[in-house]
Amino acid sequence: MEYVSPEGLRLDGRRPMEMRQIRAEIGAVAKADGSAVFEMGNTKVIAAVYGPREVQNRSQQMNDKALVRCEYSMANFSTGDRMRKPKGDRRSTEISLVIRQTMEACILTHLMPRSQIDIFVQVLQADGGTRSACINAATLALADAGIPLRDLVTSCSSGYLNSTPLLDLNYVEDSAGGPDVTVGFLPKLDKVTLLQMDSKLPIDIFENVMQLAIEGCKAVANYIREILLENTKQLEYRRGL
Amino acid sequence: MGLPDASGDLSSEVEVHAFRRLFPLRFYERHLSESIRPDGRPLGRARDTTIALGAVASADGSALAKIGSTTMLAAIKMEVMTPSMESPDEGCLAIDFHMPPICSPIVRPGRPAEAAPVVSKQLSDTISSSVMADLKELSLVSGKAAWMAYLDIYCLDADGALFDAALLSAVAALSHLQIPAVSLNEDGRVVVVSEEDEGKPEKEPVNREKRKLTLKSIPFSLTCILHKNYILADPTAEEESIMETLVTVVLDSSSQLISLYKPGGPVLANTSAIQDSIALTRQRVRELQKILDEANSGMEVD
Repeated sequence: MEYVSPEGLRLDGRRPMEMRQIRAEIGAVAKADGSAVFEMGNTKVIAAVYGPREVQNRSQQMNDKALVRCEYSMANFSTGDRMRKPKGDRRSTEISLVIRQTMEACILTHLMPRSQIDIFVQVLQADGGTRSACINAATLALADAGIPLRDLVTSCSSGYLNSTPLLDLNYVEDSAGGPDVTVGFLPKLDKVTLLQMDSKLPIDIFENVMQLAIEGCKAVANYIREILLENTKQLEYRRGL
Repeated sequence: MGLPDASGDLSSEVEVHAFRRLFPLRFYERHLSESIRPDGRPLGRARDTTIALGAVASADGSALAKIGSTTMLAAIKMEVMTPSMESPDEGCLAIDFHMPPICSPIVRPGRPAEAAPVVSKQLSDTISSSVMADLKELSLVSGKAAWMAYLDIYCLDADGALFDAALLSAVAALSHLQIPAVSLNEDGRVVVVSEEDEGKPEKEPVNREKRKLTLKSIPFSLTCILHKNYILADPTAEEESIMETLVTVVLDSSSQLISLYKPGGPVLANTSAIQDSIALTRQRVRELQKILDEANSGMEVD
């Protein structure tokens, strides 16, 4: 099957280095301390952050830093065929672990000892790149909750099909069987915190594909900064400053 | 406005919030004696309600309903199945209600919320007893193939009146539902026809005309709190946690009573309290009917 046409267009009409349209909204869940909705093309996820709050399970309490918990779940209707087991299956558990470790690296946990920070992510529509959308939504939700962060964490995926590096794969491209590289990036510190790849890829091409994903992450970071700035302006405006 | 200009002002503001947390019942009773609630609503008024149809593009029918801050996302996915022996020309509607941990600080991952199975059961009972959707419309080939409609409702924000919002989103999703076109392929199996295949002679849709469900008596509900002599319509989560006696009344659009639900509670209801709740619900039904009709006509214009 042809994923990149001879004119250089992908299945949904994008160029190989073009990301899908991003849209984000802060404060979607009123009850949460921080929340955000993040859309990358047709992939839509909602993240809510509760914390810092008292640890629910005393035995897990840590005296020198905060406990970070994360749960990833997909809605039954999020994928093409209805999912029977949206949580507790291996993929969801693995992604929960990945998101937790990625966010834990950038939260200044030593400032909030003996407390707990819960990050819950729910996928409402899945069209490839759910892992990246969840990390981006979690970053926005943490910023909305006012939790001190070392830096924003942004994430983007890229792949390699028909001898072309492609940025931001959708579901069809992802399930094509080619390599899929997901990168979690700290833009200001210029460091990579998450890097996952599956399938086979020659090392020199891998460099290019990873760089492409990092460029995607930087673009997402710019957008996230704009959203946060706009949100802060709204808060100032409401306070009458 | 939020700036602390005089320390006296700030300390009185802090005292109100502390009073609200420490003595919530007295805080509310001070408001109720003036016939108002802390968010400024009169006792019988519900919060602002909105419905957005087609919120989930990949589902066959979906709706996002918000009552105040309470947000419910309902989506319907259709699958073809063989009908049961007892009712060979009827389809099936399976309703499931989920409260993921994002919706409320008291829901813990791994342990489902207490309210979730209760609301789930209430919803299935109400929708099946209201006979809103004729299951015979979900049949394709009698005895061989019928639709199974999975209706999943996700609570995205739990701020009181969960059953009302869930029922509203379920009803809105059913009114938005577009049954996909199907045809019989060579093996005699029913296959979903996608948009590119329409027009090809072997893939003529079996049910081209009937794409939307006809909904008869649509149920709408209102939850009220009974506290001493007061009846508060459409409680928030804070009100529900302080004053525990709830009454849920479900009426249909012709003002027929479909169900009445009062699961215990410290306040005993006499006939007049029940009748007052039913009167409040009747008024609410008219409001909700109007909102649903506006949302439906908004979709048709597209």
